[in-house]
Amino acid sequence: MKIRGVEIVDTFAEAFTMRSARIIITAVSPRWAREAALKLTGFATSVIGCKCEAGIERVLEPSETPDGRPGVSILLMVMAKDELGKRLIERIGQTVLTCPTTACFDGLPDAPDRVRVGAGLRFFGDGFQSSKVIGGRRYWRIPVMEGEFLVQEDFGMVKCVGGGNFLILARDASSALAAAEAAVDRIAGTTGVILPFPGGVVRSGSKVGARTSKTMIASTNDAYCPTLRAVTTSDLPPGVNSVLEIVLNGLDADAISGAMRVGIDAACIEGVLAITAGNYGGKLGPHHFHLRKLMEGVTA
Amino acid sequence: MSITLTPRQPLAGPVDARAILAGAWGALTPAELLARELEGPDGAFALGDAFTAAGSADGTLVIEGDASRLQWLGAGLAGGSVEVRGNAGDYAGAGMSGGALVIRGSAGDFAGGGAAGRKRGMTGGELIIHGSTGASTGAAARRGLIAVGGSTGPFAGFSMIAGTIVAFGAFGPDTGLLNKRGTLVSLGSITRPSTYRPACSYAPDWLRMLFLRLRDRYGMAVSPAHLDGTYQRLSGDFAELGKGEILEWNAA
Repeated sequence: MKIRGVEIVDTFAEAFTMRSARIIITAVSPRWAREAALKLTGFATSVIGCKCEAGIERVLEPSETPDGRPGVSILLMVMAKDELGKRLIERIGQTVLTCPTTACFDGLPDAPDRVRVGAGLRFFGDGFQSSKVIGGRRYWRIPVMEGEFLVQEDFGMVKCVGGGNFLILARDASSALAAAEAAVDRIAGTTGVILPFPGGVVRSGSKVGARTSKTMIASTNDAYCPTLRAVTTSDLPPGVNSVLEIVLNGLDADAISGAMRVGIDAACIEGVLAITAGNYGGKLGPHHFHLRKLMEGVTA
Repeated sequence: MSITLTPRQPLAGPVDARAILAGAWGALTPAELLARELEGPDGAFALGDAFTAAGSADGTLVIEGDASRLQWLGAGLAGGSVEVRGNAGDYAGAGMSGGALVIRGSAGDFAGGGAAGRKRGMTGGELIIHGSTGASTGAAARRGLIAVGGSTGPFAGFSMIAGTIVAFGAFGPDTGLLNKRGTLVSLGSITRPSTYRPACSYAPDWLRMLFLRLRDRYGMAVSPAHLDGTYQRLSGDFAELGKGEILEWNAA
């Protein structure tokens, strides 16, 4: 299959089941909601080293937020469900509680599984905290020097999918970057999807384990490193001199499928030779996204 | 589709109406509801003797017309939604623990207060009164929300344990006395009790959320100035724990 001359490799992306919360941050202005969101989602690219993966899902209009102020929606994902509450308390406590004018709400109110967040953060109030129940949900009012920080008592937790991906194999680095930027721009704002890596793009795709260490759980994906073409078993077609990866996490497989489809379509530009995907032979992750099936009907 | 009760004729005197919404009322058919027994000045009688009923059970009830002689209406309400399209009598929503009781007119004394013999008033749910209330609104309330579109009588929030009372009009004399942890939100006027102390002027985010709910769900007259305004916070009652508060709107 080719899209605008770009080969779509007959392979699939292999993804894993994770647990996710949706965090709604509001503030007096979009600026401060964004500041808190950027801090909260910082250093959250991969569970391998960051304990969680997080990203901005989309910007929210005041009419979409619980308190009628400008907001940002964030998805934060972990591998084990007992990790989610810890990560939320750490990150909201350090990055939203501290940020001027913000409040923090659960964005999955219908999720039956709940993790306690405000119920833990309230102790920062040192006994001066209080709570209010509004519409059947409890919110904690934590006194701070600016005034009060409002945070919801518990957050919904749902199963989600992490590790959707596709690789852009390009003739040169500038073409790879242009294609990756086009893909990210197209995917941005898709409900239920985040791209947890910097700018949505990964340059250092990894393989499981390492040749030189028994303790490392991941190391460079040498099969896709152009500089190693002559010294390793390379999977790169002739003419490929740069590879970038887009990693997608989503609330469900359909959200990832839709985002991969539009992202791959956008990445099929001049200078890109092929689009492929990372997998482990189908043995590790239950979610398989077959590129050619995803891209059926997109040929123009 | 809700069940609608319509009075056959005005009631002759005060009626103890707590049986109407007692227990699992939400699943009752109109006939079953009409069979419930009320206590009036001349003794017991069936609800059906005084009201007609139409519709089907879905956990919501509408009472058409004046219900000012129905006392204890919604007392102990634990769930569902009840709308009174007129006035209600004393003790409306007394001791309610859940659900919503919406009174389009006014209510009498002890709205949301403690039922007789109880130390606690309402412990949950939402009591929305578009008109005004009599004395002791929310007295001894433990949790829950009371919103009053008009003014309250004296002793609103007396001995409140927690919960929230919002008055769009004036709070009556001696509001908030012996309040432990409750919140009184004044959008009209209030006489500040001497046992409260001023803290600061600020814009509570939770109050904005509450106002949005009152406006969007219950059609209360929340203005942009209420939403975007600042509020003087007074802590009290220091004759009690001192962990309660009065939030007084700083009208422009």
